[in-house]
Amino acid sequence: MGYVAARGGTEAVLRAEELAAALRLLGGSDPLQLPQISDQLRHAVSRAMHEGALYAPLLAALAVKQAEGDSIEASFLLRAYRTTLTRVMATLPASGRTMACMRRISASFKDIPGGQMLGPAQDYQIRLLQPLLALEDGDAVAQALARYAALVAVGAPQAGEIGHFPKVADYLRAEQLLVAPPAEVEDEPFDLTRQALIFPCPRSARLQALAQADSSSLMTFAYSSVRGYGDAHPTLAELRYGYLPIQVAHPLTGEAVTIGEIEATECEIVSKAHSVSNSSAPPSFNLGYGFAFGQSEVKVMSMAILDSVLTQARLGSLSGNSGPAADEEFLLLHCDGIEASGFTAHYKLPHYVTFEADLRVLDRARKHHAE
Amino acid sequence: MYPITHILSCSPAHEVAALSATVLARYPAEALVFITEPRTALVQLRMAEGVAESQFNAGEILVSEALLELAGHFGFGMVIGRDLQHATALAILDAALRMPGDPHADLRPHIDALSAALAAAQERRFAAAAATRVVFDTF
Repeated sequence: MGYVAARGGTEAVLRAEELAAALRLLGGSDPLQLPQISDQLRHAVSRAMHEGALYAPLLAALAVKQAEGDSIEASFLLRAYRTTLTRVMATLPASGRTMACMRRISASFKDIPGGQMLGPAQDYQIRLLQPLLALEDGDAVAQALARYAALVAVGAPQAGEIGHFPKVADYLRAEQLLVAPPAEVEDEPFDLTRQALIFPCPRSARLQALAQADSSSLMTFAYSSVRGYGDAHPTLAELRYGYLPIQVAHPLTGEAVTIGEIEATECEIVSKAHSVSNSSAPPSFNLGYGFAFGQSEVKVMSMAILDSVLTQARLGSLSGNSGPAADEEFLLLHCDGIEASGFTAHYKLPHYVTFEADLRVLDRARKHHAE
Repeated sequence: MYPITHILSCSPAHEVAALSATVLARYPAEALVFITEPRTALVQLRMAEGVAESQFNAGEILVSEALLELAGHFGFGMVIGRDLQHATALAILDAALRMPGDPHADLRPHIDALSAALAAAQERRFAAAAATRVVFDTF
């Protein structure tokens, strides 16, 4: 038993890479340009950014192109790139309150201050393929510009109206409908990129882990919790998508300096009323929070459901079978797409030595069974 | 009216660069000294979440940063994305607009014009979304 060396691998690996690169263009189609990807594959770019935990739309477009549309591979490329750059500072705390909203909906109240806007959404379309999209040419761009101008005219621009709205959660809080979250005192929020997760972990660690988690994994865990393997009964308090201004502190004066805007989605989700065990507080709603780069609605809703479930699990206010999604350690250690795909994919690598050992164990077991 | 840094970071880079070129034309070349070469870097996004207003790290943002001195006055420029020219222009304008005596006050009408253009663009952007307002009736 020991290390098994192999020869000749380098050339094969290089040729495998060449073959993959060649296949991408072998069909003779025009190579994709990055602005085409960032403009026309917005959701793929958003996903690469929030799972890669790096806001950089053009680099994300490059990652999507290089990964040939594989979202986990694209986010992996961004995370790897992220390690090559120096982090110079943290931003000043950004709040969704300052978001210039393009979409804002609530499933809790039909009338919310500022009103509801459907914004850019495909939720309300019939899921039928549109064959005309396959025939688009340059004229489609001019037509889109004309349709946009018509929408602007319908919306009638008003001086100073850029999409700032109060939060629905503030109303719930003012009405004392929400349970107070467990108090946590942290000098600095937890940073997954510098510290290992230890359980139970602070909520800041939970939110950071969920914000960079694989969207599909979060959706699956949240779905399990609402469908029957848990006690979540969510109602969307508010979901907003739009442009979030980002500020840092000026290194000389400390004044807030705006460095631009990012596209982001955030939501708050209300759970059903719970009484808090061992507490004299009246029954209240619980609130969960979700945030992601770009327009990523299922991701932030899943995140908010899971945030709420984990908070309730910590408060001891879940009733019945709390389900696997209420296990903080299980959830947070298995929701990162890059870690999960890396571990799964590594089984493609040679395991000759371990399998040789398995064969010997099997052989002994069979002999023992035969005796 | 937006704060100046908001106007300059959200306005088209070439227009901000043109303003900074106006400033640079008033100094000899050696008056501009880079403290560090303009570079791309990361900033950690701190979000104040919507439940308890506590902070968490929501991911990192690719930025371009410039740190310089213009005629001995410190200037800082940072902008989201990979645009070293925009960051440098922001740093030059930061230094210029902080100088004692406000020697570059003549830039302010140009900045006001950028502000008006930015406001109009953001109002149009929102108007397109406002066209999708929905009102629910109760039956």
